[in-house]
Amino acid sequence: MNTLRAAWLVTLKDLQLELRTKEILTSTGLFAVLVVTLSSLAFYTDPLSAPDIAPGVLWISILFCGILLIGRSWALERENDAVFALLLSPIPRASIYIGKTLSALILLFMVELLLVPLCLIFFQIEPSGVMLPLLALVFLGSVGFVSTASLFSAVGIRTRARDLMLSVVVFPLVAPALLASAVATRELFGGASMAEIQNWMRILGAFDLLFVSFGVWISRHLLAET
Amino acid sequence: MKLDFEEVSVAGLAKSYGPTLALAGVDLSFEAGTVSVIQGSNGSGKSTLLWLIAMLAYPTRGEIRYGQHGVARADGLRGRIGFVAHQLQLYPGLSGHENLLLAARLQSIAYADRRATDLCEALALGDYWNRPVRTYSRGQAQRVSIARALLHEPRLLLMDEPATGLDEKSTESVVDLIGQEKRAGAIVIIVTHEAKFASAVADRILHMDRGRIVEPEG
Repeated sequence: MNTLRAAWLVTLKDLQLELRTKEILTSTGLFAVLVVTLSSLAFYTDPLSAPDIAPGVLWISILFCGILLIGRSWALERENDAVFALLLSPIPRASIYIGKTLSALILLFMVELLLVPLCLIFFQIEPSGVMLPLLALVFLGSVGFVSTASLFSAVGIRTRARDLMLSVVVFPLVAPALLASAVATRELFGGASMAEIQNWMRILGAFDLLFVSFGVWISRHLLAET
Repeated sequence: MKLDFEEVSVAGLAKSYGPTLALAGVDLSFEAGTVSVIQGSNGSGKSTLLWLIAMLAYPTRGEIRYGQHGVARADGLRGRIGFVAHQLQLYPGLSGHENLLLAARLQSIAYADRRATDLCEALALGDYWNRPVRTYSRGQAQRVSIARALLHEPRLLLMDEPATGLDEKSTESVVDLIGQEKRAGAIVIIVTHEAKFASAVADRILHMDRGRIVEPEG
């Protein structure tokens, strides 16, 4: 079976599980609402200072929702040792990583579809003009972050220190992507046009390409013996 | 492409987990159409041997051959191996049917539905077919796990305590299925503590102690 077909089966399985339980979307969605609401109340803002604070709140929310979501997604694989059902199948190892990354990305986008408008409303940012470039930034930032976090979650299937590894290894690794995303979002909320943030998007695109390629290449070795 | 083989042999197989030696050099061969049962006390290395043969772990030293093929051809060989592990390796949120269909699709089985239904009938899975696995008793989940291992008509069938949680009638149907697999030319390797089950299915019984194959006491 080719890698993409097998990866799609893994993604469908994850989405089917989520459709059944709604466990991941409910917990991360509520968490996202909580973070944005609390932040908007804690950093009491006026329309002038709001664009400076909103990017930080948005990306911190995405970061923690993502970690929560990816951690739960891989925890489902550890329950009953279910991941070995995938490892026993005659499919390329990389397809498990690609499938899990894709499903986490789809679920994170669904949470972001709630998070982004909430952030704009609570921080009184006019959506017209920023919505499209903001969604592009959120997409690019999420791809890099999810591909990196999924890779280290895959490594951590049998590592007891998996949560520690996520925070100690993943956060520093994704820091460049998160910083680029946050700065580009700040520029955007400050009135920059799509053309003016294109350099940040290129950096994010390059980061995504690097980490997705590295993840696909290394996952077949990392998942060979768990 | 699925690869075929008529024999599985292990030579000098050893496995360490840190300072703990789980297997201390095992030499064995298993032929098509035979059922081998491995017995031994807890921690004697029986399950480790199965995991190594299933290619779910790498040996520290030694070699496993699947006919002419080595583990370098793992992707082609996995399509010929069925494994019933002690942890049942089922997704608790999916039904038995969905777990079987997922496995069938990953194995690229044509007529997956038909094959899954036949196995469900053979193992009397009918009534709880569409409920999530997390609502199953151990015996019910065990039967789904066995059905999944047989789904792709494996050449090599590895079973770790397959009779755990099964009632007498279900145990009999598992014994029948193992007999069918044997007649179809499968290499069957079973780890079990249950003497009655072992004597019902085994062509030969091996004993392990502290990571080695030993002569049975008495």
